[in-house]
Amino acid sequence: MKQVAYYKGCLASLSAKELDTSTRALAPKVGLELIELESVTCCGAGDIHEAEPDYYLHLNARILAYAAATGADTLMTVCNVCTLNLRQANWQLVNDTELRARVNENLAQVGVQPYERDIEVKHFLWEVAAGEGYEKLKVAAHRGLKGLKIAPFYGCQILRPSKLMGFEDPDSPSSLERIIEACGGEALDYPAKLKCCGFPIIQAREETALGELVQPIEQAYEMGADAMVTPCPLCHLSLDAWQSKLKKTTGKDFNMPILHLSQLIGVAAGISEADLQFKRHVVSVDKVMAKLDA
Amino acid sequence: MKVALKIWRSNSQTGERALREYEVDAPEWATLLDVLDLVKDRHDGSLAYRKSCRMTICGSCGMRMDGKTVLACRTRMYDIAEAGHIPVISAMGNMPVVKDLVTDMDSFWEKFKSVKPYVQPGYIEPPGGREHIISREQMSAIHKESLCINCGACVSECNAMESDPAFLGPHALAKAMRFVGDPRDSKRIDRLEEVSGHNGIHQCTRCYYCNERCPKGVDPRDAIAKLSAEAIKESIDSDMGAKHAKWFVTSAKTTGWLRETELVPKTQGVLASIKQAKFALELARHGKVPPPFPAHVAKNVKESRRLHGIVARQGRNGFAGIVQGEQAMAKLEHGHTGHSDRDPYGPGSFPRPYLPGEKREGAKA
Repeated sequence: MKQVAYYKGCLASLSAKELDTSTRALAPKVGLELIELESVTCCGAGDIHEAEPDYYLHLNARILAYAAATGADTLMTVCNVCTLNLRQANWQLVNDTELRARVNENLAQVGVQPYERDIEVKHFLWEVAAGEGYEKLKVAAHRGLKGLKIAPFYGCQILRPSKLMGFEDPDSPSSLERIIEACGGEALDYPAKLKCCGFPIIQAREETALGELVQPIEQAYEMGADAMVTPCPLCHLSLDAWQSKLKKTTGKDFNMPILHLSQLIGVAAGISEADLQFKRHVVSVDKVMAKLDA
Repeated sequence: MKVALKIWRSNSQTGERALREYEVDAPEWATLLDVLDLVKDRHDGSLAYRKSCRMTICGSCGMRMDGKTVLACRTRMYDIAEAGHIPVISAMGNMPVVKDLVTDMDSFWEKFKSVKPYVQPGYIEPPGGREHIISREQMSAIHKESLCINCGACVSECNAMESDPAFLGPHALAKAMRFVGDPRDSKRIDRLEEVSGHNGIHQCTRCYYCNERCPKGVDPRDAIAKLSAEAIKESIDSDMGAKHAKWFVTSAKTTGWLRETELVPKTQGVLASIKQAKFALELARHGKVPPPFPAHVAKNVKESRRLHGIVARQGRNGFAGIVQGEQAMAKLEHGHTGHSDRDPYGPGSFPRPYLPGEKREGAKA
């Protein structure tokens, strides 16, 4: 078992609890032992970065310090936005001694241990798309999605900026496809799988956001996808919950089920509904499960 | 080497559009621009594309290769040709095509002009006709934004602009930051107000395509974040986007985690939220609207509250809060290791430039 400090972020704690429960249920099957982080806060979701950037850096340093204190070498995220925010802050702290010293001094003032031993921030997707995690996944989820056509949707901030993410080619990634196929499903290819779902501005500029959101859903629908899968709970929220708003703007009812990555692998690995919690989705996943059972 | 290309040929006047394949003999060092020159010279003189400097200075030859915006002069063809791949070349996105690879950049320049891309001086002239000296630290704050060559690669891929063509976009906003951060400029507040308007910074959807594509390392998305942080520091925060961002700060210092249910009324106002009631009820039915009480509070949240106070007193918010990380971020551009033993001015390198006040070796005292 590989021990990782588990940072679930805001959504998996609140409106996307199903992401947390399915990740926890799946972790031991793919060789991960999750160490709970109790004292951590929100990473700022890019919003604190563009409101009070110095506070953003300190909040993330505090998260990294608590994660490093667990003794794990990896801080594992389940959200693209958390991944980018934490990796960006981590890179700045690790590569700038002066900056790190000032931040650590401030952390000490509020009673937080300094961030001294470096820790690496990795998304759950990266843990199971390569290496030992992938080998274990292939065994755990072997041919569990037979007959299902799955449209992978990456979400921006696990691919770009690639110099900070660096796991795979941002213009032709293959991790989700590899996982879908290892689970026995068929991965569909469509241009909008790398584009933005619009979530960051879905409240402040809904029309612009919906204009982005419609592209991946419509393309996946036209390809005949049974479901879409995403490693990001923010993409999940817009694809799943805001889908009903596309009915008004396009006149089309896509009725496209959206799965979290941990749920997709979870289904293939035989995780129970109590942990998958599909009832928490706005668009029903019933037809996907029915096709699988048929 | 043999290089094959497919080029989307089109003519806006006749409406013709066709994908044509070409093959040329090119030297191994050839760039995409060299190959286009060979196609035009040897096969079809009617092929239209822009070019000038051929060395990533003029920003003329922006185009797409396999859907990805590049500068043709900066793209070597050797690996592609060796792999036997035949790339598809097309015009940039988010702009109408005039002919073949030439786009109509009028809207690009209109947006550029709208941010008043020039210094509007407001400093006090030093007496006796002396120079107005700016410190290196002050200028380095806008170093990245100053590198822009107006090529349009960022705009070509902007996801928000695809959805709303009125969005000012990464290029114009990075240019705005270049002057907001310029210590000689007198219109900082006016500029911040302008970019905080409906088509400004809060339309950015944070897809990071602009950072990914920029051939000069401008990182327009980061420039947009700098504008936002600076505007919020100056209390230019009436836009829903700014209220949204500020609610995350409030959440982090009160409960630690995002107070998700209150985010909509805090961003859109209570009246607009009521209009969304039907939608919200539908989400609530599936547990997507967590009850605000009891609040989901992080353990030891008082630490993050006190951190907020300390950080606020140290006065490094605003764009300076992002600039402070750039020295470390620059190491990403140079080989991902973060540590370089190589002295850029060491043996075998270009001579180090002389800084003002320094004595040249061998020069007369």
